Amino acid sequence: MSNSKEIKQKVNGPASIVDKLRFLNNQIVYLVLVIIVIGVAASVLNQNFLTLRNLLNIMQQISTLGILTMCMALLMISGGLDISIGNMTGLLAIIFARMLLTGKSIFLSVIVVLLLGLVFGFINGVIIAKSKVTPLIITLGMNYVFLGIALIVGGGRPQAITGQFQFLGQAKIGGIVPVAIIIFLLIFIFSFLLRKYTKYGRRLNAIGGNPLAAYLSGINVDLHIISIYALSGLIVGFTSLILISRLGMVQADVGANFALQALAAAIIGGITFEGGKGSLVGAFFGVLLLGILSNALNIVGVSSFTQTIVLGAIIVVATVISNIGKMRR
Amino acid sequence: MENKTLEKEKILDVKNISKEFPGVKALNNFNFDLYKGEVHGLIGENGAGKSTFIKLLSGAFQPNIGEITISGETHKYLTPHVARRLGIQTVYQEDILVPGISAAENIFLGTELIDSKKFFVSYRTMTDQANTLAEQMGITLKVDEIYERLSPSDQQFVKILKALAQKPKVLILDEPTQAFNVKDIGLVIEMVKRISKEGVGVIYIAHDLEEIIEVADRITVLRDGRAINTHDKKLEKYQPDDLAKEMIGRPVDLFFKKKESPVGDYIFEVRDLKIKESAKPISFRVREGEILGVAGLKGAGRSEIARAIFGAYRKLGGKIFYKGKNITPSNPIQAVKSGIALLTESKKVDGLFMGLPVDHNITVVGIDSIGKLFLSLGKERKLCNEYVNKLNIKTPSLNKEIRFLSGGNQQKVVIAKWLFKGVNILIVDEPTHGIDVNAKTEVYELFTELAASGKSIIMISSEMPELISLSDRIIIIRNYEISKVLEKNEINEENILSGFMGGN
Repeated sequence: MSNSKEIKQKVNGPASIVDKLRFLNNQIVYLVLVIIVIGVAASVLNQNFLTLRNLLNIMQQISTLGILTMCMALLMISGGLDISIGNMTGLLAIIFARMLLTGKSIFLSVIVVLLLGLVFGFINGVIIAKSKVTPLIITLGMNYVFLGIALIVGGGRPQAITGQFQFLGQAKIGGIVPVAIIIFLLIFIFSFLLRKYTKYGRRLNAIGGNPLAAYLSGINVDLHIISIYALSGLIVGFTSLILISRLGMVQADVGANFALQALAAAIIGGITFEGGKGSLVGAFFGVLLLGILSNALNIVGVSSFTQTIVLGAIIVVATVISNIGKMRR
Repeated sequence: MENKTLEKEKILDVKNISKEFPGVKALNNFNFDLYKGEVHGLIGENGAGKSTFIKLLSGAFQPNIGEITISGETHKYLTPHVARRLGIQTVYQEDILVPGISAAENIFLGTELIDSKKFFVSYRTMTDQANTLAEQMGITLKVDEIYERLSPSDQQFVKILKALAQKPKVLILDEPTQAFNVKDIGLVIEMVKRISKEGVGVIYIAHDLEEIIEVADRITVLRDGRAINTHDKKLEKYQPDDLAKEMIGRPVDLFFKKKESPVGDYIFEVRDLKIKESAKPISFRVREGEILGVAGLKGAGRSEIARAIFGAYRKLGGKIFYKGKNITPSNPIQAVKSGIALLTESKKVDGLFMGLPVDHNITVVGIDSIGKLFLSLGKERKLCNEYVNKLNIKTPSLNKEIRFLSGGNQQKVVIAKWLFKGVNILIVDEPTHGIDVNAKTEVYELFTELAASGKSIIMISSEMPELISLSDRIIIIRNYEISKVLEKNEINEENILSGFMGGN
């Protein structure tokens, strides 16, 4: 009896090395390898690839997509999804531009955009939590609602804020590191900590894993779902500010492809529709892969049309690979 | 020989059949026969081998030894295709038809009455034929109604008609009256008698002994995979009690020997709980450190009552008290705050997070105790290890996704989840369903310890040995009402069974 206890102690005892390395889950290892392969190939073909300037350039280019990917990943881990974040970004950027152009202060405009982001997300969350309709349909509908409002607010014309509000998108700290990258990294770290080290994140994870069991475990499922959509909306607000600051001019449909790209990045990073699965580190590398690939293809001189094909193929390959892993288990 | 054939023709003859699963002999040298136009009842406790037998006949399982003769053809085993060709049709309890199409379409699903010259399905022919079929069976059924809008009993009729549309020689009905109220059970019995008059051999499985005595010409009692006895209505008279005794008679050592501990005062009370309009309200009290057994047949409303107490099922009325304070929860959030736990029967569906690791499953409810703003993963690991050791949960690591654990260990994780939260009242629904004998004993020991430490357990169970050996008292539920309360000294199988039937 005591003997078997001892054996058990060993089995359940201090984490083994395998356990400690478990955070390197397969998909992330593959991702990093692929990124390295692409990087090596690109730097062999073109010396300009592996320069600090180019790498920072890549990071800046993916910063808005990266932030949206964090939103999408948090939502997917909670068993949800938000297809409307792309046009939500566009709408908020247009609203911001209109406010500046009609003489409102930058401070007021920023506050309004962030609050509106929160409200838009909240609305999505309430509809999804209360109606129990699949988030895909609800947010697909809201995607058009946001686009329509953006067209009305902007009168269907591009809105330019030339010369104003350049800090978030164009400023560089110490003249080297763009502010946008810092914000992206901060939001990544925030999401990572939220998911892994907070009660809130743990409960979201549980809801994503099994909403019924979460409900019967006394978790306030609706509250968590509504709040994560609202939080996601707030982050979309930040994204829209970075975007307009970087571009200086936006159209209503500027974000039309953002949501699907963020979804793709999350999926490539190992986040699944199952909920409760995947890691934000994976999603981070997913975005990084997309950014590096696009940059590498550009540098090598592949046309943007061909790049679109490559992007699509990568999504298919990544999901198939992650599913093979599942079949083996 | 010829005379006998004229008199009654044997259409099914199952000889010396055995079926083994790892660790269990589900059927052991079992013999069974069925005549044309006969209703042959099959009874036995859960796990006696009834479902295994049906599945052998429908071709879902294949026997290890023995032979099956049907309509003169002898087979070592059947496949679903062969079973259908030979005219065996089975209506399972859990059969699910297509909810969004009409009853008639469901009846002819897969065998649509397609005129071979035409490309399209003829809805009118389908509806007409379904109506004729229903008429022949003496039931009124709106065959053009969408299936999911039909009452549970009408849905059951549709399932039976669907089987009949295949013109079976052998019809197997697995607890066909489960969804029925008393009045409609009569309809099923009439229908079954009609079906058998048409020359179909019917194998009828039911838990209700009175029902099966009424409908069956012969009854075979199954126990531990063996045929204990076959009774013939023409040759003898028998009462439910006779059959019940044959069903039970098991070796005594299957019972768990519980270490008795003193029980305290009444601390938990359910007062006038009503969840079904036609049923009398339910009231009962539970003492500190007591295990209250809740017995009853499947479908008697036990799980619904448990969920209602937990705030997860609509209550029409009633209050819940803990230590004299009204805590009536209107949702599980409030129930958990008041220290009530619900361990559901279908733990894989609504108790566990199958894709999450063991430690996350343990700490999900009581997560407040492992950190304020940020969680301490080290503390979590340490506390989880304590529970894993205390409950003897066998897992390669805390990071293992729980779906890889055995049923018994999964159940222990569910228990750990609630103990980690620290609850006072545990409502457990079929706690040992689908777990092996050793794990069962461990769960029993755990419950005994919990009770001894002052926790109160309300234990819904269909397993006699479990109810009898663990319960301090038993309430028996029948049709959403308490039909009987058994004090410690009154607890025995006869009393429980008679409670099921509504006797005194």
